[in-house]
Amino acid sequence: MRPGVQRMTVVALRIVRQLKRDRRTIALITFAPIFIMVLFGYSLSGEMTGVQLGLVDGGDHPALRSHLESIQDFDILRLGSQSDAEKLIAEGRLDGAVVIYAEEVRILLDASNLQITEAIISAVKDGLGQEGAGRAPETFLVTRYIFGYDLEMIDTIGPAILGFVVFFFTFILAAISFLRERTLGTLEKFMVSPLSRSEIVSGYILGFSLVVVIQSATTLFIVLYLFGVPMRGSILDAFIITLLLGAGALAMGSFVSNFARSEFQVVQFIPVVIIPQIVLCGVFWPVQSIPGFLRPLSDILPLTHASDALRAIMLKGASLSDVFTDFVFLCGFFLLMFAAATLMLKREVG
Amino acid sequence: MAVDKSPAVSARAVSKSFGQLLVLDRLDVDIPRGVTYCLLGPNGSGKTTFIRAIVRLIRLDAGELRVLGLPVSEVDRIYPRIGYMTQHKALYPDLTVEENMEFYSGLYGIKGQDRENRIEELLRMVTLAEHRKRLAGALSGGMYQRLSLACTLIHEPELLLLDEPTAGVDPRLRKTFWEYFQSLAEAGKTVIITTHLMDEAERCQMVGYMRAGRMAAQGSPEEVLQQAGLRSVLSLWLAEPERDAAHLRYLGYEIEVAGGVVNVSLESHAQIKEILAEVSPADIRLSEPKLEEAFLRLSEGA
Repeated sequence: MRPGVQRMTVVALRIVRQLKRDRRTIALITFAPIFIMVLFGYSLSGEMTGVQLGLVDGGDHPALRSHLESIQDFDILRLGSQSDAEKLIAEGRLDGAVVIYAEEVRILLDASNLQITEAIISAVKDGLGQEGAGRAPETFLVTRYIFGYDLEMIDTIGPAILGFVVFFFTFILAAISFLRERTLGTLEKFMVSPLSRSEIVSGYILGFSLVVVIQSATTLFIVLYLFGVPMRGSILDAFIITLLLGAGALAMGSFVSNFARSEFQVVQFIPVVIIPQIVLCGVFWPVQSIPGFLRPLSDILPLTHASDALRAIMLKGASLSDVFTDFVFLCGFFLLMFAAATLMLKREVG
Repeated sequence: MAVDKSPAVSARAVSKSFGQLLVLDRLDVDIPRGVTYCLLGPNGSGKTTFIRAIVRLIRLDAGELRVLGLPVSEVDRIYPRIGYMTQHKALYPDLTVEENMEFYSGLYGIKGQDRENRIEELLRMVTLAEHRKRLAGALSGGMYQRLSLACTLIHEPELLLLDEPTAGVDPRLRKTFWEYFQSLAEAGKTVIITTHLMDEAERCQMVGYMRAGRMAAQGSPEEVLQQAGLRSVLSLWLAEPERDAAHLRYLGYEIEVAGGVVNVSLESHAQIKEILAEVSPADIRLSEPKLEEAFLRLSEGA
């Protein structure tokens, strides 16, 4: 063997040998791709369930009505009038509605989610098609966007990108710097000083919150002015949600750093913590297309609630009180992660 | 205020095991105040575990441990009064010398002019005064170590726990460190040090030799040598070694003749004069026993 090849082999063998010792990495490179592929696969499969569809039924077109009712993916809510349907769509409580008259079938839609919109339209077309020979010759199909008629793709996902960017960077930043505290030996020194454990974590979060503020401001600025995403609610409300999400990411990063012994291992948390949030937050792929067994997971992810709230504030002009549930969830997530980070520090005392 | 005479550290039947491994085995020890105390012992003898138990980074399974007269669990009253330096230097390489010290001052609530004076004094002590604006990461290994010590001393701790503080420090600086530790002890502070280096142990006022989680021997270096039954040996080069050896043996000395050299075990140094009155050696040499031998003997005997 030529000396160059031999030296190269030595390097390669060393890497394999080290990998063999790092069981976590082996587990990660084996299971993380499977996990992520499955997540993506399910989310992109196009199967949608739990679409909230309003139905204003004038009594005509029974075949269409029974077709819509037979679709298991739709949860049908019967409504008295078109104005009720419009109101519920505007509030985000319905994904769309079908108003059935003899000569005209109107589809009212929320355009902020294209996959759902298309699913509803094609269901109505299928239903009308099934009426076959008995069908009234002239039935007009009218599609109206109650909400979001002027939205582009970037408008609907922009708020979520904002949340994602802030979460991702603050999480990584906090996890790596907290880890550094451990490797430098300063954390142990804190433990033997008058500094309490919760003071350590609070100090950390307070210090890095400056980063979160700057990051929230710049990303918000870009989303609004460069992407041209509308801001129909209060910019302050959007800012508060972003800050809360960032604080949660900081606390989570501090907590998670307890499980890493090197920067390399922090990076390994990205497929575990970050990617599922992107897939499951319901923005890039609608929550309705996520299989049922994964939905509870989607519901407990901070990015799901942050993007939900940000979309409502920015696109629908909602106020903080309108997105109170998301707000409370984000506060709860922060407090939970804060407590977890503090308790984990305690566990250092063997 | 009455002077607190309780030991700096007092352990009674202190035990700790990690899984199946018993690291501290009913350890009993009293470390008085105002001394430099060296904790010695082979690797795995429980030194570091004991130190970490004193600073309560480890909880004990059994026994009573008191630090500065307080139960070890009263960390709120103990932590402000102790300084702990591990082999990790616990500094921020991306802060300057001065900023590192300011940070640690802040943790102990030292502010304003107090802080300035204290930093000034310590930087002079560790001869880093002219480097105060330099990034800690740009310092040499020895300087880094000195800064770490300065940060540990910022709040004038009554009890100082140093885990191998002179590892990687050049001999000249080591001497400076030791002089400073002595001066701290003279000022009433207690300095507990772990080391592998016997010559350092000999500089301490007290040594404790740990073995298998217990204290195998403790006392001043001289006391430990006596406990181990080691004596100084006077070697004599004599014209007629056999005859003189017989004479000295007759006088009651413990004699050994090896290769024409007569070795006399001494009970005290005063005996040297008496011996020289009896014989006229061409040359003499006095061999003091080493702590190392004492510890080897103690660990074999125990």
